[in-house]
Amino acid sequence: MNLKILIPLFIATPGVLFLALSIVWLLGGCVTERTMARITKSAYAVLALLVIMTGWRMRVDGLHSVRVMLGDWFTVGHYGYPLSLLIDRLSLLMVGLTVVLAGIVGFFSVRYLHRDPGFHRFFMLLHLFTFGALLVFTADSLDLLIVGWETVAITSVLLVGFFQYRPEPVRNALWVFASYRVADLFMLLAIFLAHHWFGTTSWEGLFSGEWPGCQSQMQGAEGTVIAVLLVIAAGGKSSQGLFCGWLPRAMEGPTPSSAVFYGAISIHAGAYLLLRIEPLIHQSWIATGLIIITGLATAFLGTLVHRTCADAKASLAYAAQTQIGLIFIEIGFGWTTFAVIHLVSHATLRTLQFLRAPSMLRDYHRVHAASGGKVSPTGSLYESLLPPALQLWLYRLALGRGFYDAIVERWIVAPIQAVARWLAVFEPQSPQKQPAANTPAHPAESTVS
Amino acid sequence: MSIRTHASPCGLHDSWQETQPAEGRLEHLRRVVDHAAHSLPIQGPLGVFVHYNTLRSLQHRRFEDAVTEGGRLFKAEPFLSEEAYQTERSRRRILDEDIDAVLSREPDADILPGRLRRRELRRVMLAPGMRRVNGINISWQLEEGGWLDSFRNDLPEPSATALRRDSPSALWDACRVRVKPRPAPPPVMPKRPRDVVLVQHGIDMDALIHPPLIRLTGAYLDQGIAYWPMPHRDKGLLQAARKIMPQVFAIFPAHLSGVRAEFLRQDAANMDADTVVLEALEQLDVPLGQWEEFVTEELLALRGWAGMIRMLEVDVTLAPHDRVRCSLMEFLALRLTYTVAALKDISGDTVAWRTTLLPVPRFDSLTHVARVFDVVQLLGISSSELGTFTDEELAWLDQEILACHETERRRLLHLAYERRHERRVLIPLARHRAMPQIVPSSNRLIAQVVFCIDEREESIRRALEEVDPSIETVGVAGFFGVAINNASMDDADGVSLCPVVIKPAHSVREVAVGGDAHLHEQRQGMRRVWAMVARNSFISSRTLVRGWISTACLGFLSLFPLVLRVLTPLAYGRFIKQLNRAFLPEPKTEFAFMRDDAASRDATTGLMSGFTTQELAECVYEVLGPAGLHKGHARLVVILGHGSTSLNNPYESAYCCQACGGRTGAPNARLFALIANRPAVREALRAKGVVIPEDTWFLGGYHDTCNEDINFFDVDLLPDTHHADLARIHQSLDKARTLNAHERARRFAAAGHDITPESSLRHVQERAEHIGEPRPEYGHCTNAVTFVGRREITKGLFMDRRAFLASYDATKDPTNEALAQVVGAALPVCYSINLDYYFSAVDNDVYGSGTKLPHNITGLVGVMNGYQSDLRTGLPAQAVEIHEPVRMLFVVETTPERLMSVIKADSELNEIVCNQWIRIATMDPDDGHVEVYRDGVFEKLEGNEEPLPVASSSLAWYRGKMEHLALARIDPRAA
Repeated sequence: MNLKILIPLFIATPGVLFLALSIVWLLGGCVTERTMARITKSAYAVLALLVIMTGWRMRVDGLHSVRVMLGDWFTVGHYGYPLSLLIDRLSLLMVGLTVVLAGIVGFFSVRYLHRDPGFHRFFMLLHLFTFGALLVFTADSLDLLIVGWETVAITSVLLVGFFQYRPEPVRNALWVFASYRVADLFMLLAIFLAHHWFGTTSWEGLFSGEWPGCQSQMQGAEGTVIAVLLVIAAGGKSSQGLFCGWLPRAMEGPTPSSAVFYGAISIHAGAYLLLRIEPLIHQSWIATGLIIITGLATAFLGTLVHRTCADAKASLAYAAQTQIGLIFIEIGFGWTTFAVIHLVSHATLRTLQFLRAPSMLRDYHRVHAASGGKVSPTGSLYESLLPPALQLWLYRLALGRGFYDAIVERWIVAPIQAVARWLAVFEPQSPQKQPAANTPAHPAESTVS
Repeated sequence: MSIRTHASPCGLHDSWQETQPAEGRLEHLRRVVDHAAHSLPIQGPLGVFVHYNTLRSLQHRRFEDAVTEGGRLFKAEPFLSEEAYQTERSRRRILDEDIDAVLSREPDADILPGRLRRRELRRVMLAPGMRRVNGINISWQLEEGGWLDSFRNDLPEPSATALRRDSPSALWDACRVRVKPRPAPPPVMPKRPRDVVLVQHGIDMDALIHPPLIRLTGAYLDQGIAYWPMPHRDKGLLQAARKIMPQVFAIFPAHLSGVRAEFLRQDAANMDADTVVLEALEQLDVPLGQWEEFVTEELLALRGWAGMIRMLEVDVTLAPHDRVRCSLMEFLALRLTYTVAALKDISGDTVAWRTTLLPVPRFDSLTHVARVFDVVQLLGISSSELGTFTDEELAWLDQEILACHETERRRLLHLAYERRHERRVLIPLARHRAMPQIVPSSNRLIAQVVFCIDEREESIRRALEEVDPSIETVGVAGFFGVAINNASMDDADGVSLCPVVIKPAHSVREVAVGGDAHLHEQRQGMRRVWAMVARNSFISSRTLVRGWISTACLGFLSLFPLVLRVLTPLAYGRFIKQLNRAFLPEPKTEFAFMRDDAASRDATTGLMSGFTTQELAECVYEVLGPAGLHKGHARLVVILGHGSTSLNNPYESAYCCQACGGRTGAPNARLFALIANRPAVREALRAKGVVIPEDTWFLGGYHDTCNEDINFFDVDLLPDTHHADLARIHQSLDKARTLNAHERARRFAAAGHDITPESSLRHVQERAEHIGEPRPEYGHCTNAVTFVGRREITKGLFMDRRAFLASYDATKDPTNEALAQVVGAALPVCYSINLDYYFSAVDNDVYGSGTKLPHNITGLVGVMNGYQSDLRTGLPAQAVEIHEPVRMLFVVETTPERLMSVIKADSELNEIVCNQWIRIATMDPDDGHVEVYRDGVFEKLEGNEEPLPVASSSLAWYRGKMEHLALARIDPRAA
């Protein structure tokens, strides 16, 4: 099959599936679990086949990158919104990783979510997520990338709040949503500025040559500004730097969605973006420095907090954050190949660990028994080199999760709320506040009937 | 074990109020905390899951009162919802005659003399039942629900006739004129500062203080997940928190900054937990008389964690790895420190909350009128007739309608629901007994197979007897009379294998036989290497420096297990087993269980190592005696212990043998067989009247209730003469387990209706190996009945895996000694399982642990929901979804007098039975008539309305059906 057909086809497959499923759902129809399982399994099998065919085709044709122009979505003046896809070695790898890991998680979830009221919703979102992720990795321009980027974000948020009948998942989903939105501002700004200064956001226009080893076309301070903005935006997606606090909160969803988002794909999308714009970063010492400092700080904080986490999922979340910090550092130092290997390795390992998180009890007991009842103590390697007072202080820092939540709540959320409350003066009729406590938790229980 | 001391009814229940002024404040506080602790969940660390009566603290009250009281205390549902019962009524699981029967046992009264009696009123309020009134917006509901367009269409015939000339709006108007609207309930006093703060400031104090409390407690109790154990753990929770939290530059979350100064002050003054709590109670202005209520409420706000602390405080050995000193008082002190600090910060003072009344929830005063409107329709009282009622009559009617409130209706419906269950079991059971035995007993049985009484073994016992009618099955509690502390070859420490109410006195050890000692060494060496690799890869995949190298270089290797485990779980499981077989040599082992020295005791554990011959004979007698196996044993007696293995399942232990304390019963079965084969033991047994034939051989085995594996132990010891017998029983068991897998698979939607027995076996094996399977098996989900009696009575009866079957022969037990043993072992286990399922099913959010899907293992002691939450106790939704919450129907083949003499002799059993936490019935050993225990007396079971269908095989009866099935007689000749 022609690559010009293959590439759009495998991106469109999950998107079309999502659309079809949501139309059925909106029309009040219902797809049985069995059908959904068949659809999902065959969809991922087909996707895998298509990706393999693409890779094989490119190899046979000796191509390192393929651009597919689908024309413009719209044109205004001399700006056209390009629908252009790019498959090169980096994209193909990420696409392959997405299809394999999301497919495995899809297979897993067919069993895991059996009989859950949200079964249909989960798979709809999984297909939408796959679509978004594939779009991120194949987009040929920032304009198109952000579409996928936002799709991944919204599915991520909806799956964090999957158990929507309990308040905590919804609260934490909101937290994740807000973090994403703030980070997205930086990306939007970068896109605007790129258009303003360079007239384009397509990879072709911004970089010359093929990845890796392409050259940046953006020079000078403008290039630096865009690079810095994109590094911050990537940090938002990968829970790095300023946005390092949301990852553990995202553990509210069902286990497989934690695996595919925060172990496998979504969390690495930031690193992908950085790999993509690597030449841009390296021509500016500010951006390079920023990415290394971001990675270093997050990795250090991540590993510190991970050390004190007593629950399986938050512990994994901080461990993932640590490794992605290291991947950022690798990208900063320009060790591109190593960073890519690290990324793929880390994604597969973390997916397995997330999926097996409920096994931790059994695993630990087995190791304990096999080692003769004496598990080697941990936490006395580097820590013992520090003075006790500092140890205690670091423990406190870790237990407070780097004070991230406290800082955000006290000095960002609270002032914004205060301003909002003050602005409410201008509301003509503020609706009567109904405190939640007014409704009894179990109305059915009232004996006055 | 320890649970008795912890949850036994304390003297406080009735006496504390009188004694409080006499004692000091400190003593009083300690008593209050001890008493409040009884309301906390009594589930220990999750590694072993033991079923308990969830409302054990209320066991001194009658079941129906206790569930209502529990509902109030825990804000939980006491019964299923009214709609659920009405659905059951519409599918004829509850019949109207059940409702009549239940009402006839309730006190009756004249409401409107000559026109209406209480029973008639309640009858219509239960069937067809009341429509739900939302209590908030009645007029909207009337319009949207079409209440005023027409009368209900499910009215009883006479009422519909009486109302034919009337119109709904006229009746509604009449109701509005005549019925006085109920006043809104008065404002209530706040129970905790949180209630007031939430209303006044819109801030949820629990959401503020729980995250730090959960993190501190989680890190404190952690058994090995955190890489860095909490410093100062040896000083106790409160001290550790004080040392850690107020570090310089530490930033506290909003409203909690005051905690720092408070901790520093407490530390400087060296205050202990009692003092901190006393001070906090004073600051919060809680009067002495309300301490109890206040402390209970505060502890219940984070009941899972508080309960875990309490469990570990009472019995430190419950901690799976790290024994940490726990104290509920310290937890309370920590909680109150945070509460006071937050309250000060938010509302400026700590006393005002006590005098603030909470506003009334939204309330529509027409609610009551709407209910009366519904009732008068049901009664067929027209608007004109309503007008003729005197005020006094109306007041009476009002009173009665109010008295039959929702909880009351649900209680009555629940009783009706249980009554139908009772009749659907007892009547067919009595019919089956009255019919001739399907297979007349032959001269000598080929084999006897002893199973656990577990209801999940009912189907395989039936299948085995169907496959080979010359095999008899026996049911005894799955620890087979040998209460031991067993250290298996691969375990470092011993674990108790017996019901949790028994404290084992003997320890045994599995050791390699002399010639295989080197293999044992090799094996343990390999395991240590594996443990080291596993441990290091676990740690190094997560830390910074080691993680860098290992994830980057080796991480992609995890693609193989990831893909294979998910896509081909069964093949991958086999591959792992092959690997184990290839690298882990399996030495031949034996038990060290004999003791020569009469009184050698381990100094630290107090356990005696092994048994004397006399004690062994006692163990064997405890099993064979009550079951009536005094003589004429088959040539081969197989003892099958059971357990369950599944992957990725924190609740794995809940599926294991409850008679072995949530562990596998394999060692007990193996040990029992070894014991019973010893000539000296048989000699000693002969003196007790149990004569085991020379050519009888006992063989231990193990049945995995999840993947249906059955294997035997010590086959090499089997005499050559018995190999043919073994081959035959092996073949029969193999067929039986396939049939059993098939019967289980009927409940699994994933298996499909048309699955063959062979593929169903593969299906259940795959479930056990699948890491994404939240329901590896359904566990005790179907429990409902216990039958204690001879197997002849239930042989050939399809009981749908719903009945615990304990073998007991009343005809050979003139002294009731055996009865006391069987009931004493079976009743506590069965009722605990049953009530754990009952409560987890009626309110899965409060009593159960909710859906399993977001569960997050924490500290290796329990699970939280997602990011951080209270520890979840009880059973997950996936484990109870097909459960019918009815109390255990405990049927004993004996006379009421004999049964009650046994029950009255044991205060715990007496409490359970008299307070009706279990339903008791007897079946006469001579003529088979059934008597049912109701409110203190036994009544003969009358009526004959439930049929006993006959089917040619179990498969023919259940094929293609997923729901609970009625009892049926399985008669191969019926085809």
